[in-house]
Amino acid sequence: MGGEQVESRRAPEGALEFEELVTDVAIIGSGGAGLMCAIHCQDAAPSLGVTVISKGAVGRSGCTRMVQGGYNAVLDAEDSLEMHLEDTLAGGKYLNNQDLAWTLVNDAPKVIRELETRVGCFFDRTSDGHIKQKAFAGQSFDRTVHRGDLTGIEIMSRLRDQMFRIGAKELEDVRALDLVPAVDGSIAGVTGLDVRTGRFVLIRARIVVMATGGAATMYRIAAPAREKTGDGVAMCLRAGLQARDMEMMQFHPTGILAGESLMTGAVLEEGLRGAGAKMFNAEGERYMERYDPEKLERSTRDVVSRASYTEIMQGRGTSSGGVLIDISHLGVEAVEGRFPGMVARTRQIGSDLARGPVEVSPTAHFHMGGVLIDRDCMTGIEGLLVAGEDAGGVHGANRLGGNGVAESTVFGCRAGDTAAALADTRAHVEADVHAVERSLRTALQPLLRQQGPSPFELTDALKSTMWEGCGVVRDRLGLEKTQSRVEDLRERLSEVSVPATREFNRGWQEALDLANQIDVARAVVASALTREETRGAHARSDFPEQRNDSDLHYVVLGQASDGTQNLQLRPVEFSRVDPLAPAREGA
Amino acid sequence: MDASDTPRLRVRIRRSDPGAPSTFEVSRFEPMTVLDVLMAVHREQDASVAFRFSCRVAMCGTCTIRVNGRSVLACQSVVDAQTTELYLEPAAGLPVVRDLVVDMTPFWDEWARVKPYLVPAAEMLEPAVVDPESPERRAIDDSLDCIQCGACFSSCGIAGLDRHFIGPAALNRAMVLISDSRDEAAEERLAIVTGADGVDRCHNIFGCTNVCPKGLDPARAIRAMRTGRSWS
Repeated sequence: MGGEQVESRRAPEGALEFEELVTDVAIIGSGGAGLMCAIHCQDAAPSLGVTVISKGAVGRSGCTRMVQGGYNAVLDAEDSLEMHLEDTLAGGKYLNNQDLAWTLVNDAPKVIRELETRVGCFFDRTSDGHIKQKAFAGQSFDRTVHRGDLTGIEIMSRLRDQMFRIGAKELEDVRALDLVPAVDGSIAGVTGLDVRTGRFVLIRARIVVMATGGAATMYRIAAPAREKTGDGVAMCLRAGLQARDMEMMQFHPTGILAGESLMTGAVLEEGLRGAGAKMFNAEGERYMERYDPEKLERSTRDVVSRASYTEIMQGRGTSSGGVLIDISHLGVEAVEGRFPGMVARTRQIGSDLARGPVEVSPTAHFHMGGVLIDRDCMTGIEGLLVAGEDAGGVHGANRLGGNGVAESTVFGCRAGDTAAALADTRAHVEADVHAVERSLRTALQPLLRQQGPSPFELTDALKSTMWEGCGVVRDRLGLEKTQSRVEDLRERLSEVSVPATREFNRGWQEALDLANQIDVARAVVASALTREETRGAHARSDFPEQRNDSDLHYVVLGQASDGTQNLQLRPVEFSRVDPLAPAREGA
Repeated sequence: MDASDTPRLRVRIRRSDPGAPSTFEVSRFEPMTVLDVLMAVHREQDASVAFRFSCRVAMCGTCTIRVNGRSVLACQSVVDAQTTELYLEPAAGLPVVRDLVVDMTPFWDEWARVKPYLVPAAEMLEPAVVDPESPERRAIDDSLDCIQCGACFSSCGIAGLDRHFIGPAALNRAMVLISDSRDEAAEERLAIVTGADGVDRCHNIFGCTNVCPKGLDPARAIRAMRTGRSWS
């Protein structure tokens, strides 16, 4: 920029014009939570107008689609809801909202049945014809329902098929910009941008459901789909809602390293470690012997990720900054037979899982943190519901594999039921015109600047900054540095410039994604500074121990309209399982 | 390595606006997929080139384009070391929204015609007991993992030519449901797929099976329904 005067393109006449759409229930997001919500809402109240607003292709964007492993649900008489709850809480290091965790495990069997008998999914069977459940890390019973290693495709394809039955309205390629309040502070609707035409819309609704998915793409190495830029949490924070556990970002230990390719960060599935894969540093040492001599590679995601990260940071990583996973000792045929998808994935990048070691790194995967909700997905704003990864509290400090798609579908159903019940009790209220104008004016800015940094360059800077300073292992100095870098990026975002085309302009969309990522990144860093201990996914090298659970608090963060953050600590209620109580027999 | 030594790749892209730049040169890296090439064009050359993707690991099915004439998922197409030039076009047989982005409505219209959702018996409250080795599952399992990418639809000489063929993906979906013992609408669906726009319009060109990025065989599904050999 060199201090030059930035010349702005004049906003052409009518640039802020918008089309107004009126619906009863507006659902933002079309993954597992969004479509489950639409189906439940429409089936419960067929006369309601239901509209699904999706930044990408309906049912084919977001991360439910990418689920490999499966879905945790208690189906076997030998298993129990109490055991699933205890696994979920132990996995979450007891930071969970126990009421939400109980809701998850309690509803999951019902929702699995619904997926099979109503939605039309077909999950793998055992030889006696009953649903097969496999073992997953951190669970006391084999309870993971799956369809091969492409479970998400089966669930999302069948949910998408259901959309043809219920006939809900779809706004595909429409990005939600901001929640719009009425003058009394309740929800009036949401502003949006039609990505195809570049035109603005105002969607007025009695009920708005936020179900966009998390923000893990803000890291240099990350697993999720491209849409996952924290839009829902960012919109909710800007609307004045509070979020909890924002420091809790899960890193999966085995993300592919494929240089500059987008394939980098894609997950090699957890089952490899379960099946006996060994992990080595660049010196050929099986380093897990030093971190968890008992469970070795089969230790939980947080422990293995932290060990790998430490090896890489201390200079024992490979030249491209990774470690090695090796399962070739099982033999080519066995590996090809058991992990065909993973073998194909590695061959595509020029290595071969069946024949030798593959370079991997921890990869940002899932955000446990999110908006405060109750078990019916209600929030602090009347008429606004939140479901799925946008919500916080279900998983606490760490999510178990198989509880993610369970969360999105369970709470999607509940949001749909709540929306159907509440819609009649709320009228369409008038949107605050100033809020609408502010939202559209802000969104238009990158398009009006002739010069300025490219959003792609700033996104890269954010990803590196978060990876280095607020990643797998954190400390105060690094976090403070990261905090000031993210603030700098926020400043530079206000100078960003994109090509002037309004139709399907990826540069413009990137700038809008980045604005949301920066809001969420600020919340992650501030919360990470506040938690001075190591717990679950949040590791502090300056506070390497987990504090006593008798004084366990969760971090709640809100942000004022000028962006000022406020943080509170609230005590975790052990309403169902007390980690301090003496261990129960047989538990 | 000196910048001038970095291998370059020449990329031609069919743009919607005939005046927009359409030939680009990007730096190569290893490994590199066609999707990586498009991202490089964005970063280094022109952020306004429109294309679609989501998952980048062949699960979402939204990055379907034609690379040197062939329908593929951009994320799965590795650019090998010998390649020096690529020609990228939008998927065929579908209206172009902009550049490489197409409107999938015709594909979904056909998909909807076969009643693509399960019609379960009201009394089915528990997951059905189904032998995984049964003829039913043998008919279905290899045809189940369709990601609705539309590569087959675009490559079908008939579906792409006119709008009066249900097309390979929707017919494959119909075969799966007709074979599924949990479904109660098999007869209705059979009538649709054996009707005027159904299986008899297939000319056995096998374009669908040849391009399916998931290795499915829609031509086999069509043949099975033609000869009444689908398991029902």
